[in-house]
Amino acid sequence: MNLEKASKPTRRGYSDRMLEYGSIDKDFTVFDADIGYSTYACLFGEAFPERYFNMGIAEMNMVSAAAGMANSGRTVVVSSYGVFLTMRAVEPVRSFICYPNLNVKLLSSHGGLTAAIDGVTHQATEDIAIMTTFPNMKVLCPSDPKAAEKLFDVSMQTPGPFFTRLMRDPLFDVYGDDEEFVLGGSKTLRKGSDITIAAYGDIVFQALEAAESLAAQGIDAEVLDLYSLKPYDKEAVLASVKKTGAMLVAENHQAKNGMGYEIAHLLLKHCPVPFDNAGLEDTFAESGDYPSIIHKYGLSAEKLAGRAAAVVQMKKEN
Amino acid sequence: MEQQRTIQKRVRYLEEKAKEVRVEIVKMIHEAQSGHPGGSLSAADIMTALYFDILRIDPNKPEWPDRDRFVLSKGHACPVWYACLALKGFFPIETLKTLRKFESKLQGHPIAGKAEGIDASVGSLGIGFSQAVGMAIEAKMTRSKYMVYTVLGDGETNEGIVWEAAASAHKYHLDNLVAVLDRNNLQNDGIAEQIMPMEPLDEKFKAFNWHVIQINGHNMADVVDALMKARDYSGKPVIIIANTVKGKGVSYMENVRGWHGKPPNDEQLAIALEDLKGSLK
Repeated sequence: MNLEKASKPTRRGYSDRMLEYGSIDKDFTVFDADIGYSTYACLFGEAFPERYFNMGIAEMNMVSAAAGMANSGRTVVVSSYGVFLTMRAVEPVRSFICYPNLNVKLLSSHGGLTAAIDGVTHQATEDIAIMTTFPNMKVLCPSDPKAAEKLFDVSMQTPGPFFTRLMRDPLFDVYGDDEEFVLGGSKTLRKGSDITIAAYGDIVFQALEAAESLAAQGIDAEVLDLYSLKPYDKEAVLASVKKTGAMLVAENHQAKNGMGYEIAHLLLKHCPVPFDNAGLEDTFAESGDYPSIIHKYGLSAEKLAGRAAAVVQMKKEN
Repeated sequence: MEQQRTIQKRVRYLEEKAKEVRVEIVKMIHEAQSGHPGGSLSAADIMTALYFDILRIDPNKPEWPDRDRFVLSKGHACPVWYACLALKGFFPIETLKTLRKFESKLQGHPIAGKAEGIDASVGSLGIGFSQAVGMAIEAKMTRSKYMVYTVLGDGETNEGIVWEAAASAHKYHLDNLVAVLDRNNLQNDGIAEQIMPMEPLDEKFKAFNWHVIQINGHNMADVVDALMKARDYSGKPVIIIANTVKGKGVSYMENVRGWHGKPPNDEQLAIALEDLKGSLK
């Protein structure tokens, strides 16, 4: 698979589509907390100023006011960074958006270590754990700008609250124009028979690169893009693991309580196999350039390939 | 003269209604053996004036799109909200006996969609105020005529979100938003000004570009007058700082810290009902 360097980050893909969608759906509104020029929600704001509310640097009030507006049934997109949406504003998200099941769509930029250069205060590395835990919340994570555009539509066309994890920096284009994305779906990007590597977001690219280097060692890895994290594609995961007999979940997130824990739980119940989970190992990261940071914290293609090879070895020894 | 007599009649009616509300409050908290009587009783006159005089609502059409919206931001005081809704006819009085019980529509803190007339879920202090701001922005955006009313506690103003919401209400010129601050000067752990000094509250809200009205929150004529003035005020959001007594109407609860979140026992209920009967002239 030859991946092209992406022209834009997923936050831009999501917001570009939101701008287009503003003419298709004339009822939804957008709330921001003074980072519209960073999430690109400003594009919508410039085109539809009467439907754009910049609530200042006050995320809890922004989310709560958005809930107040969404009480009328209106769909409201709320834009901020993952760390702020999932922690500073977590209580109104849980009790006043998820519990009443309102049509609030959280545009969450700077997911995982893609905000590497900004340092730990801006790296949302627990966001998936927090958001997937809330009843009614649905969680998406596009791996490229095209997926971000398509998943924006999915979130707008499905009732209830959504959390969409987006990336700060442009990475790689994975998908063409005609790919379809559905809630609870996944993409098998590479077929293989020795191990399944399930990833999401930016780590999908690292997983694909890892699969290439594994192939050179004679290990045939299958790569899944879990773009829908809640609900996620249990059928595809189980079908793949039944075929490969080994699983590595790789995620730009704390290993604890992320998708690795979720999938380990599924496999323990239905299909126990040699398993490993690459993510932050009960540690915070640090500032730095993205490639150095993900390598140090075990998420580079090279590190994933080593980890996957070890799981395949476990399978052989069993 | 004629007009004055009409107002006097309205005030007398509301004073009698407030007594009924207070009786329902203590009865339902006794029945549940759980709940918050102090802050429910302090807000009883304000809530009665809203529900039986000010709010444009129809208990037969709780989802009427043009209805005035109401959010009890001090959500723990929901017995007073539930009492008003029941007495107004949103649901049967009998329902009040189910407060906080298994499978009741009257949740420990009110949830939108569970009981008729609850426009927003509340219970975490400060967040209801922000939701009211969002509702008022919605009304402005859609050029709707309805008003949004909210009642806050004074301890609630400790929450930073209250001031975030206050700033945003000014930004969006929400003169369709009326807040009432139930200034009973007691919060869970003690005297509000000792727990966290917030005075001068009037100057604070003025500095946030709100119009401020100060009243005795147990003088029904003043309460009604202030609410009418607040509704008609244009250009700024309005807050009515209503000086009240926590536990108002029940002798042993008035201004006593311990009655924030404690139910009366059988004996205490009898005294409370006697106190309230005494006040029922």
